[in-house]
Amino acid sequence: MYDVIVVGQGLSGLLSAIWAKQQGKRTALAAMGTGRIIQSSGVMDSIPGTQDWQGNPIQKGAIEAFKRLTEKMGYPYKGEIENPISIVTGAGHVKKTILYPATISPIPEQGRVVIVGFDHILDFQPTFVQKNLQKARPTLMISTLTVQLRKHSQRTLTQLDAARLLDQSEVRNDCIRQIQQQMYEKNISQPDLFIFPASLGMEKWQETIEHFSTELNAKVTEAPGMPPNATAIRLHERLKKEAVQLGVRFYENTVVFGCKLDGKIIDSLIIKNGSYESVISGKEFILATGGILGGGLEQTSIGLKETALGFETNESGELLYCPSNLYPVGASNGLRVIHHGITGGVYSILSAHEAIAKIGKNPMMGGTRSA
Amino acid sequence: MLDLFFHEDTFEKCLKCNACVVNCPVSNETFDFGGPKHLGPELKRLMDNQQVIDDKRIELCTLCGNCDISCPENVHVSTLTAYAKAIHSELSGTKFRDVVLSNAEFVGKLASAFAPITNLAMGMRPVRKVMEATVGIPADRLFPKYRFNHFNRLYNKKTASTKRKVAYYVGCYATYNAPNVATSFVKVMEYNGIEVVKPEQKCCGVPMFANGQLKQGLKNANFNIQRFLEYTRQGYDVVVTCTSCTLALKKEYVSFLQTEDAKELASHVYDADEYLRVLMENGELNTNFAPREEKARYYAPCHMKAQGIGNPAMDILELIPGYEIQDTGAGCCGQCGTFGFKVEKYDVSMNIGNKLAKTVNDVNAEYTVTECGMCKNQLDQLTDQPVKHPMEILAEAYLVGDKVLANK
Repeated sequence: MYDVIVVGQGLSGLLSAIWAKQQGKRTALAAMGTGRIIQSSGVMDSIPGTQDWQGNPIQKGAIEAFKRLTEKMGYPYKGEIENPISIVTGAGHVKKTILYPATISPIPEQGRVVIVGFDHILDFQPTFVQKNLQKARPTLMISTLTVQLRKHSQRTLTQLDAARLLDQSEVRNDCIRQIQQQMYEKNISQPDLFIFPASLGMEKWQETIEHFSTELNAKVTEAPGMPPNATAIRLHERLKKEAVQLGVRFYENTVVFGCKLDGKIIDSLIIKNGSYESVISGKEFILATGGILGGGLEQTSIGLKETALGFETNESGELLYCPSNLYPVGASNGLRVIHHGITGGVYSILSAHEAIAKIGKNPMMGGTRSA
Repeated sequence: MLDLFFHEDTFEKCLKCNACVVNCPVSNETFDFGGPKHLGPELKRLMDNQQVIDDKRIELCTLCGNCDISCPENVHVSTLTAYAKAIHSELSGTKFRDVVLSNAEFVGKLASAFAPITNLAMGMRPVRKVMEATVGIPADRLFPKYRFNHFNRLYNKKTASTKRKVAYYVGCYATYNAPNVATSFVKVMEYNGIEVVKPEQKCCGVPMFANGQLKQGLKNANFNIQRFLEYTRQGYDVVVTCTSCTLALKKEYVSFLQTEDAKELASHVYDADEYLRVLMENGELNTNFAPREEKARYYAPCHMKAQGIGNPAMDILELIPGYEIQDTGAGCCGQCGTFGFKVEKYDVSMNIGNKLAKTVNDVNAEYTVTECGMCKNQLDQLTDQPVKHPMEILAEAYLVGDKVLANK
């Protein structure tokens, strides 16, 4: 019997589990696989989703709690909900974001930047990034160059692979030499900012950022793009480890395919691991299975279907009937908060924080039932 | 001849999202491995109803199952890679060393029969150097000790008469290397008024699957299924102290065989701590544990995580008064059963292990708790901390608790 059971381990699910556990709740998390943090850019945008939150007092507390958590995990996020900054993505698109890790720097309006790509990392093409970026920043002076990682691989290398390589100082030194040499050969002037794919180190991202910015004598930034990118995976790995170390019980490789109701409230979840079926019972339940992209909602010929608990939804994916001990968070709240299949990270943070605050105010409810 | 055209269609759901590659301990360490996405669903898609492909890179897959754990689409990646291994063995042959390593039970029987000599020899540097050169078992790799008084000599009960009855699947490690784990489990059950029987059994097959010996592994699987069904049909529960064996009985037999018998058996199988948790939830658990003012750290084996059962070992150990235990949150140990005993994989194994050792050492505690014998082997080699099985701790806590009660 758990106090809180979370379904799903994307950003909403992991944050809900961590915050519930921090309140002293016996917490479990059931998930079929990793959540969509891995496919995300790793920065927290305000839209879609947060339009409903304007002026809501819970905002500040939630953002602060998220920052405190990431600071503790050794991957601090900065930014303010009132002051979005502009960053460049791995496609050269400039977008506004609210919260971003220390591996990301804002993209300036003007001045000089150099985009550095890696040979073999096909997901990040410097000239493609350059052309798109130039449209958004017509007065910015942009140069590109490509350096070699000099590693033979049996599989297509990703930005994450590059990030792991750059944890090694000799690989970084080699890259820095190549960058300096190419700048000299191509007559590229000293820029204000170097733009890299999302690859600036994994465990040693701090060392990597510092090494590059000192040796290259300029700011450096990641331009997060195609998954798997290090910006997002650093966050995912740290959130997961934090949750496990806090004592959240993970039911992984687990399909939630229904629930048992006790009157108007959920009593337990029906779960399956392979052909092995069982139930886990709890007092409060958090639905963090995501929207269509996350797999929490499925588009069928007769409309949207909620996939984990088997509840009926309206045409925008909101639950028609939500038991009093069930809290949908993030994209599980339906299409209202989802555009293009995803929810802004800020919405996930706010809604997870709100759900936990509600559960925290409600201690007697679980207490009487379990008695 | 193995049927190379196996039926497994979950690969259809693969979106190539890379979640499995990101979470694959081997992919994170070496670019020589093609990765679970490529050698699992992609390879299967390429050869389904077409020519069978033998890909040598599959040798680097450890069958740890982190790909299954991380897949958001529920693709049975490790089942697919296990078949890729079987295909590779069938078409390219298997090294003599790998055949020996995959027969953990045979090695166990032989090595424990001559236990003092085996242990002595395996500790001698010149012997190990020769072994490295001839059979390819790295000289620096710690070898688990074998016990002359192994569990098969100690315990042979075949029928039980208590209300709850347990058919114990012991596994090779607890039988030949750690009989103390097995005897502790029997005692823990005794303290709960449950009699334990040890049905006739063979190696679960996990080391065979990992070395491409699928046919042999499934032979063992069918043997175990038939023997244990005789017991479950008389009301016995099947309980296992090794998390890899548990995963085989619960999941892998069903994935490979897809028979009703395999499914029937799976529904009666419990990890030992999971079983104690069932007792607790039903109010049947004896909680007369002596207080232990100790701080331990828990290391979760991959095959425990893959079962999707939360963390039963910690759930039960936390019931001991004064006992503190924290999950290290560490990843794969890198020993991965037979993988770490192979010279050409030793560097990868140790690189994975070194990361684990760092995480383990970050958690301040007196000793490490884990259920898996092979994880213990890696922890023994890479950390200076003692490693205990939950059953050993519980048996002690009951024993002392009993004495305290008797003195009152």
